[in-house]
Amino acid sequence: MLTAVMAAVVGCIGIAVYGIVFGLFLQGIDRKFAARMQARVGPPIRQPFIDIGKLLCKDNVVPEGALGVVFNAAPLIALAASVTILLYLPVGSIMPLLGEWGDIVLIMYLLTVPALAMVAGGFASGSPYATVGSQREMVTMIAYEFPLAIAIIAIAWRLSVAGIADPFLISTIAQTSVWSIAGPFGWLGLLLLLLVLAWVTPAELSRVPCDTPEAETELAGGLLVEYSGRNLALFSLSAAVKTVAMATLAVVLFLPWNPSWYIAMAPTTAIVADALFFIIKVVLVVFFSVSVIRVMMARLRINHLVTLYWKYLGIVGLAGLVLIVLDAMLGMGVVA
Amino acid sequence: MSDSKPSYNIPIGPIHPALKEPILFTFKINGEVVEDLDFAPGKVHRGIEWMGMRRNPVQIAHLCDRICGICGVSHTLAFCRAVEQIAEIEVPERAHYVRTIVAELERIQSHLLWAGVAAHELGFDTLFHLAWRVREDAMDLLELITGNRVNYGIVQVGGVRRDITEDQFPKVEKTLAAYEDITKKLLKLFLEDTSIKVRCRDTGLMTRKQALELCTVGPTARASGLEMDVRLDAPYAAYGDLDFTMVLPDQYAGEIRGDVYDRIVVRLLEVVQSMSIIRQCIDNMPPGVVMWEQKYAKILATCKKAEGEAFGRVEAPRGECFHFVRMNKSESPEAWKVKASTYSNQMSWLTMLKNEQIADIPIIVASIDPCMSCTDRVAVIGNGTSGILTKQDLHRLSVEKTRRIQGC
Amino acid sequence: MSLLPAIPEVLRQFLKKPATNLFPAKYLPPSVTEFLQKAAAGEVAVHPPVETPVKFRGKITYDRDACIGCKLCTRVCPAHAIEFLPETKTVRIYVTQCIFCAQCNDACPVSCLHMSGEFMIATENRYSEEMIVE
Repeated sequence: MLTAVMAAVVGCIGIAVYGIVFGLFLQGIDRKFAARMQARVGPPIRQPFIDIGKLLCKDNVVPEGALGVVFNAAPLIALAASVTILLYLPVGSIMPLLGEWGDIVLIMYLLTVPALAMVAGGFASGSPYATVGSQREMVTMIAYEFPLAIAIIAIAWRLSVAGIADPFLISTIAQTSVWSIAGPFGWLGLLLLLLVLAWVTPAELSRVPCDTPEAETELAGGLLVEYSGRNLALFSLSAAVKTVAMATLAVVLFLPWNPSWYIAMAPTTAIVADALFFIIKVVLVVFFSVSVIRVMMARLRINHLVTLYWKYLGIVGLAGLVLIVLDAMLGMGVVA
Repeated sequence: MSDSKPSYNIPIGPIHPALKEPILFTFKINGEVVEDLDFAPGKVHRGIEWMGMRRNPVQIAHLCDRICGICGVSHTLAFCRAVEQIAEIEVPERAHYVRTIVAELERIQSHLLWAGVAAHELGFDTLFHLAWRVREDAMDLLELITGNRVNYGIVQVGGVRRDITEDQFPKVEKTLAAYEDITKKLLKLFLEDTSIKVRCRDTGLMTRKQALELCTVGPTARASGLEMDVRLDAPYAAYGDLDFTMVLPDQYAGEIRGDVYDRIVVRLLEVVQSMSIIRQCIDNMPPGVVMWEQKYAKILATCKKAEGEAFGRVEAPRGECFHFVRMNKSESPEAWKVKASTYSNQMSWLTMLKNEQIADIPIIVASIDPCMSCTDRVAVIGNGTSGILTKQDLHRLSVEKTRRIQGC
Repeated sequence: MSLLPAIPEVLRQFLKKPATNLFPAKYLPPSVTEFLQKAAAGEVAVHPPVETPVKFRGKITYDRDACIGCKLCTRVCPAHAIEFLPETKTVRIYVTQCIFCAQCNDACPVSCLHMSGEFMIATENRYSEEMIVE
């Protein structure tokens, strides 16, 4: 019993450290990518670490009109929830720590927790900018949940039709390539769903064009406007960890291949090789669904954002779902 | 948004990321919609006119460079034209052409700067970086011609201080050729982009009638279809000899709506127009000197002898720039009044911003290309507090002053 | 791409070199003083500054011996940066007040004032020796 608890504690700390370090590294890479696309040199990749270090040195100001308890608790909850998501997600071929206790639907719920914490913190800060930001964050959340749910459900459903046991378990999804199960129609559908997930990622991470809740030029930081010092550092860390979580989710759902599936390797070598390949995949996902999207367009107005996610991406997602259903019904690919 | 929701106030400014210069807006918001607004300029009053009245016109010319960091030539040109009229100084023909070239280069860099700022307000940082990057070419050219990137210090009472020489022509031509490609690219990136179109089309509307009633000037007025351009209406420098027409948004889009998008169209098309004007100037530049008098002592003496009043009007990149000068046979002018283009344009904010969304406030505010430090001419401060003077207050103060002067 | 024309543009730019004029050091060094000392000793390479054009107006230079003390420069200086010294019949120029318009250069009848190309003259002390030309 004691050893199990110890293992869990060590695992949690390990995952937290991994999430924070890898997340900040991803943010550094993203800033470098974006800079290069804008013909700039950009900051060094270690810059997010420097920023966090700086924030931790600064005063933690709680505004007079704020609800102190909620205001201070929100960043902690956001970071804790982000790290918790990682406990249910694999790293390369290392399966998730708590894989048996939760499935992909749980991850969908957990993804909303940091956002909800930010909303609570925004409302608690008592600034009109933060209030507007919080309202927008809620609307954004409602907007992107639907396309995200379609993408996740469609894949799990296709796996279940193929007769695979426990299709909603992360370990199942991570160990099966949905591309090898689906037929030609399914591939088309999967491509559409990949597109949807690529667009949900910036909304989930509050990056341009979906950074409406923070909107630097409009709301001066929106729901984070009153945050400073340690609290802001915690929110930044939460955003970094969430970047890892979202990119991992995309990798697990759509790019699950590992080198050890194809090349015979010693178990330890396999873990290292898979982890390295996993990092490459995650960086690629970040490049296409965060960096490229955020440099190629303007920020969306909140009503446009809802239209984009509910209408356009909703339709694309449903089309993908229909194609996958057709694929299964017409008996293309693997059907049990 | 329903009417049942209570409205709340959001202050924007004096310091806010959406504003590049200090000004205080107070918005009454319902949901995400602006119900009512008010704004209070006067946060960057620098007392430039006061400084000017303690200097001679030759010195003021370079003080004018510093009224605005972007349209330095326009203010100096307007001031010098006023002084030249009073002192009856005849500017050499070649100087007129050099003034025109520098003024148009300034327009190019100012409009590109604005385009970058507008893109940034929309959250489109890539275009911001692109616009400012290509703006560097115009700045480099200005540095080559005048000696400095900003605060050019080239226009002086009686002409210009530096000539554009033959050996600089290839560099000018090279930059213009580069701009030909760049402007095509910019037009495509700004005007065909869907994310910009959905944000800017039908945002911040101002009809032609409203533009006329609010006395707007420059690209803000032209974007609403109001045909006014000092360069054509009252030609100065070499503009009378040149062949160009007014830029209106229907030349690109086929219609005039008077929204933010049209203001982008007008400014970008004016960059193209400025290039053609510079080309014409270089082709038609007459030979000769560029200064009415090389000896500064004589200029100073002429200005000291001058008596009378005049105004100078110049089409600055942001619109009409107006300087009034009165001289009375003394070292410094007796009166000097500067009216920057934003002074005329700022009232249009009230029309444009009403019933718009919070998200569009930055781009609409930026769409008139405001320049607050050029505009602010007065700050009321007494006993350590600042206040607002109404029309009645100003009238009372004028009467009191007149009585004081008359000694009764 | 007519929907979002910036996509090909940014992807093309990704493979190109950045357009930035580089700072002397690639990234902010942990200690600027140390970096400058090393650069002076030639231990680290610094990116050279961008070249200035021929007619660039930098820090002013003054030929004291050629000056005839006519005071014309003090009359045309917009910033009142030039002070006349009656004892020696020469001028003193406060560089921190100078606005680099070079009008005194044009006005000087014996051309004893010139603008150099030097522009890295930021300082913390307005009245340091380098900031006063006489």
